[in-house]
Amino acid sequence: MSEPVLQTVALRRTFGPLVAVDSLDLRVEKQQFYGFLGPNGAGKSTTIKMLTGLLRPTSGEVHILGRNLATQSVEIKRRIGVVPEGLSLFERLTGVQLLNFVGRMYGLSRATAAERSAELLEFMDLKDSADKLVADYSHGMRKKTALAAAVIHGPEILFLDEPFEGVDAIAATTLKRLLQRFIAHGGTVFLTSHVLEVVERLCTHIGIIQQGRLVASGSLEELRSGVKVAGHDHSPLTLEEIFLQIVGGARQDAEVLSWL
Amino acid sequence: MLLVRLRWQLLLNSLRRPTRRAELGLQAIWVLMGAGFVLLGSVGFFFGGFGLLKIDRADLLDLPLWAIFLVWQLAPVLFEGYSPGLNFREVSRYPIPFRVLFILSAAYGLSDPAAIACVCWLFSFWLGIIIARPEFAFAATPALLLFTVFNLFLNRLVIGLFDRFQSTRKGRERMVLLAFVAIILLNLLNIVQLNISHQARTHGFKFPEWVGQAVTTIREFSPPGMAAHTFLQNGLSALWAFSGLLLYGFLAYMLLQRQLKVLYLGEIYAETHTVHRELKVRQGWRFPFLDEVTAAIVEKELRYIRQSFRIVLQLIYPPVIFLLLAFNGTGWKSFFAGRSQVMLAGLAGFMLMSVPNLSYNVFGMDKEGFGRWLLSPPPLRKVLMGKNLTHASLLVVLYLVVAAVLLAITPVGVLPTLTVTVAFFAVLIIQLSAGNVVSVHWPKRIELTRMNSRMASNAAGLASLVVMLPLTALIGTVILVSWHWQLRWLPLVCGVIAFAASLKLYSYVLDWAARYTWEHIEEITGNLGA
Repeated sequence: MSEPVLQTVALRRTFGPLVAVDSLDLRVEKQQFYGFLGPNGAGKSTTIKMLTGLLRPTSGEVHILGRNLATQSVEIKRRIGVVPEGLSLFERLTGVQLLNFVGRMYGLSRATAAERSAELLEFMDLKDSADKLVADYSHGMRKKTALAAAVIHGPEILFLDEPFEGVDAIAATTLKRLLQRFIAHGGTVFLTSHVLEVVERLCTHIGIIQQGRLVASGSLEELRSGVKVAGHDHSPLTLEEIFLQIVGGARQDAEVLSWL
Repeated sequence: MLLVRLRWQLLLNSLRRPTRRAELGLQAIWVLMGAGFVLLGSVGFFFGGFGLLKIDRADLLDLPLWAIFLVWQLAPVLFEGYSPGLNFREVSRYPIPFRVLFILSAAYGLSDPAAIACVCWLFSFWLGIIIARPEFAFAATPALLLFTVFNLFLNRLVIGLFDRFQSTRKGRERMVLLAFVAIILLNLLNIVQLNISHQARTHGFKFPEWVGQAVTTIREFSPPGMAAHTFLQNGLSALWAFSGLLLYGFLAYMLLQRQLKVLYLGEIYAETHTVHRELKVRQGWRFPFLDEVTAAIVEKELRYIRQSFRIVLQLIYPPVIFLLLAFNGTGWKSFFAGRSQVMLAGLAGFMLMSVPNLSYNVFGMDKEGFGRWLLSPPPLRKVLMGKNLTHASLLVVLYLVVAAVLLAITPVGVLPTLTVTVAFFAVLIIQLSAGNVVSVHWPKRIELTRMNSRMASNAAGLASLVVMLPLTALIGTVILVSWHWQLRWLPLVCGVIAFAASLKLYSYVLDWAARYTWEHIEEITGNLGA
């Protein structure tokens, strides 16, 4: 087993009496495409915020690229890229100004930041809107800009919180192309998503969190072999079936929305 | 009712945050101070109306109405919109008829403190008139009511227009230009008046006849004039004046309706142009003596400041006023004679008054972007310093330019110049330190595209007073002591000591603010809506 690029030890976060994340032990290795799944409110976003320094853990440790996030956050931040939940974009800058700015914040020279901004805008199909304010971008354009901002400095790990949420098929394809290229060049991706089909297609490894605890983790094959669905034929289980089996299925339609 | 309940529920929910509770408490202090001001004004308008009629100067009754008209229309634009933030674009998404949206929008205009004050003043004015001349009540009541409604509609229209201008780069540029021209024109008028007074004293100057006629015509055909004439004139003349006022009201109503209709139908004003051309990315800005990261922060801050109409206005206002005063027609030599040191100090103080709006809410304009500072490798200390550096540089450059002009046109001694400059830097650094504390403790989301979005919290306003009052007292004491004992060097020595102490304080506060931010990330991001 190779050295993990991301490891958490007994990670815990509470908000008053609410335990959002509890005893979380994650392990992600280099070049893995790790999908972090869970129902709404399970603790996915809280976890990703703790992994990227946007939220302090109540207890536990986060190690990224062999360094402790609590003590070496600056060094870690230089080597990771993040697309956070709210995207954290400076909306009153134009797309090109924003990418230039982010690049320089990560220590790129003016020339390199400008060069990479141009390449990213071209790749993301944003060049025609490069001079528009980010505030005037569509949701998909913002997601693409956020991803461009996350990769401009050449990170080793990417943390993506719901990167495909609210994105049309064309934008999603662009995002997927970029992520696959990133993995192929030795990068590691940690993403949360509700779009199980995308996760199933892209991710090599999956972790499922429920009520703040990691309830399943491994490759898709490992998860399939660990889950039995009553009455299922011999075809391989889909990720949706595995997920529903682990976190509990939906209620029958007849039981709810009687007025609809 | 549903919207009132919604506002109430939002207020209750926001009170779950301790900072919001404190903010509300501080707001109460501002409200009390504002209420005192409105009350004083009301007394003034009451006796204004009453007195003018008693001394038989009814011909001047339109002047108080002019004052109310100008305050109502200009105060929310030139200063800050204080009405609670309700986005009518969002309201229009609810299944409500257009009629309801229009009534809501108009009624909402009454929640702006400028509108509240003006309504109180109009009421007092009306009371003064009908007590002095009860026979005016019949005509004055509808006339002043109509005047109120006209002002309300016009103000909503103006705010809507400014909101629209704020949404686009071209609009913002036009607004700044317009404001700039307005400032210059107003001050030119002031200078013309000063010159005329000067000439009147020396040569017995009289206005040309056409000027008097033009002023009379404007007064007569303006809304305040029409409102006054409705109850001052009789018969057909009164009816004619009332019809004119009605026409003004109707025009404002129609234009406001048109403006709201566009919003109701979902129009969004934005930079929608798409430029199909070869992508040419310019490199970021470079500044002497600054490393790459700090230069990037300064560039970002400057780009944001450029988009804030009010901040640009506040920054250019003191030097423009100063330069106009310096080169006014009465001759700068007589104006500055024996007053050059005081002018320099006054100018420095005037410029320092812009600091709270710039630096007491340093993350306010970032909104969602706040998270980007946390994700980026540079420590927050550096980020805060970059922001402070931007604000300080702007003020220092403006100060130096104006001080250089002053020194060029009038002799100011080396000692006073040095003293004022050192004191300026010391107070600026103390203000920036205080600003950092308030910024992380009471952050407030700023909407650059909305006129009713405030630049800083209530706490920031009070904090700036708490900082400036003792500093002013201290500076005054030093000046008095130096003057009394003829210790001309004392202010400079005190200034240098204060400058050194302010640097130490700044460094300490910077560390504290960065630490505080990390310990209260959730609270700050919550307040900024990030």
